[in-house]
Amino acid sequence: MTAWWIRPGVRLIAAIILPLVVPAIITLLIWALPGDPAEIICPPETCGGTAELAARWNLDAGAWNFFRAWMGDAAAGEFGRSWRVEQGLPVRDLLDESIPTTLMLVLAALVPLVLGAVGSATGLIPPRADGGFHTVGLVPAVVFALLGAAYVELEYGAQSFLPGANRLRLVLGALVLGLADGAFAAAVSGVRGLFAAERDQRYVGIALLRGERPLANMLPNVAPALAGQLRARVLHLLSGTVVVEVVLRINGLGDLLWAGTLLQDFGVVLAAATAFALVSAVLLVIQALVEIAVAMWVRRAPTVRDGAAASPVVAA
Amino acid sequence: MLALGAFALLAVAAFAAPAHLVEPEPSRSFAGPLDAWPFGADRAGRPLLEYAQQGARVVLGPALVAGCVVAASSVAGGLLRCVGDPRVDAAVQGVGEVLGALPRMVVILVTALLIPSTSRGLLPLAVAWAVLASPGAMDEAAAVAERLGGARFVEALRAHGFSWTRIFLFHVVALNLRPVVVRQAAEVVTQVTFLELGLSYLAVQDAQASFTHPDSLKSWADLLYMGYPSIVLDDIPTEHALWTGLAMVALVTAIAKFATSAARAR
Repeated sequence: MTAWWIRPGVRLIAAIILPLVVPAIITLLIWALPGDPAEIICPPETCGGTAELAARWNLDAGAWNFFRAWMGDAAAGEFGRSWRVEQGLPVRDLLDESIPTTLMLVLAALVPLVLGAVGSATGLIPPRADGGFHTVGLVPAVVFALLGAAYVELEYGAQSFLPGANRLRLVLGALVLGLADGAFAAAVSGVRGLFAAERDQRYVGIALLRGERPLANMLPNVAPALAGQLRARVLHLLSGTVVVEVVLRINGLGDLLWAGTLLQDFGVVLAAATAFALVSAVLLVIQALVEIAVAMWVRRAPTVRDGAAASPVVAA
Repeated sequence: MLALGAFALLAVAAFAAPAHLVEPEPSRSFAGPLDAWPFGADRAGRPLLEYAQQGARVVLGPALVAGCVVAASSVAGGLLRCVGDPRVDAAVQGVGEVLGALPRMVVILVTALLIPSTSRGLLPLAVAWAVLASPGAMDEAAAVAERLGGARFVEALRAHGFSWTRIFLFHVVALNLRPVVVRQAAEVVTQVTFLELGLSYLAVQDAQASFTHPDSLKSWADLLYMGYPSIVLDDIPTEHALWTGLAMVALVTAIAKFATSAARAR
């Protein structure tokens, strides 16, 4: 990669494309399925008014027309109505209910990951602990989620839908997301590996000789890679929400997406998948901005040249 | 050897799996492992061994295909970095960026929508998962190739008079990329197995047919679902189903772990 702007540039382009590509693929899929899309929602043999339904939901004039109309509405915050999950209910209402829950779940799940990353960067978590984290991370989310669901049932019994039980579900869901499928282990070992490689750089040794803190010197140089790792972790958590929310009965976006898939409710699937894609796009933009900021700063920093290394380095 | 032994065990279980469970035998309802060897029986008195075998059949082939796809992508990623063409690098990054930015479970569920109910199977989902995992695997292999010296490493070996085939297949792939390629493939095999477990569990919890296998087959998720009530209720003696399900999960995890360790050994 010769030019510094290529990587962030590609990320920004991907961030723009992603929220368009996801609904486009799902729209193509609706038309790729055998049978008329309107008849999938409302089979003529079991329900009347298929033609009217098709006209109302823009299913009567082809995939492109549907996609264009849906994107136009989505840009205005309208996502149509649920086809089957909550038939006739605006999908916007379902999203309004589920997105905050999922965001809370993912943010709570990020807490142990960030703490683990900080602990490994600062050396508070010793490398010998990695084996233990890795072993815990081998457990799949569904197994941890089952244990969590059992705990809630044992704790609350028939009253397991009281607000207290729901809060407990969120906490347990966050713990499951944070620990299962190697999330915590990857966060700790990823950051440790990154800093270990950076610590071998000459400028860190020079910084130490000058009495400076190595972490403060390394941080600007590892920031883009850290942003990349953070993005990967958040995406991993987002993917995991489907299993965790369904097993623990948390009414979030993952649960909504699962219900939409199970019932072939494309109205819900389109909106939920686009919401996931939007979150992912935002993460891409954040990573690109971090890369651009670091690249700008590096260009302003003094350049250290010697026989072996002629690349610009940052000294805090 | 341990990896091969555990894998052989799983493969034998998968190939010996019956197409349908045996007829119910109510007299052996919830029989324990000692009464219905080796894992006990379900409520209808059918051996859990058949559940375990059918579960192995559901996951084995698709998981291996997914592992091969990721291994091939990983090798390609490493070799492309050795070629050292910035345009190829940018193109690979662009495709990888879009693919890697898609939340995997969303893509899996959307793919599941495409599978007709008459031909359900894990294979398309496993391939989709592998394709989504490929950018990460390519990136990691590329980083290894870069640490090796990338195009300069290849030039140096050319100067020694080695052939392209020997350089790429032996020096780059077999000697240097092998640990990362095998680890990536083993990870994806495990992930696909857990994906099947998760999707089947969600389906069976909602009393729906699973996307990953036909109704005639049982998944390891059925064992977990059967065993779950024993955690919360005292009068349902299905702990043996839970332990059998967990043992199958542990077996797959062990295979991946052993394979990774074996590939790392010189």
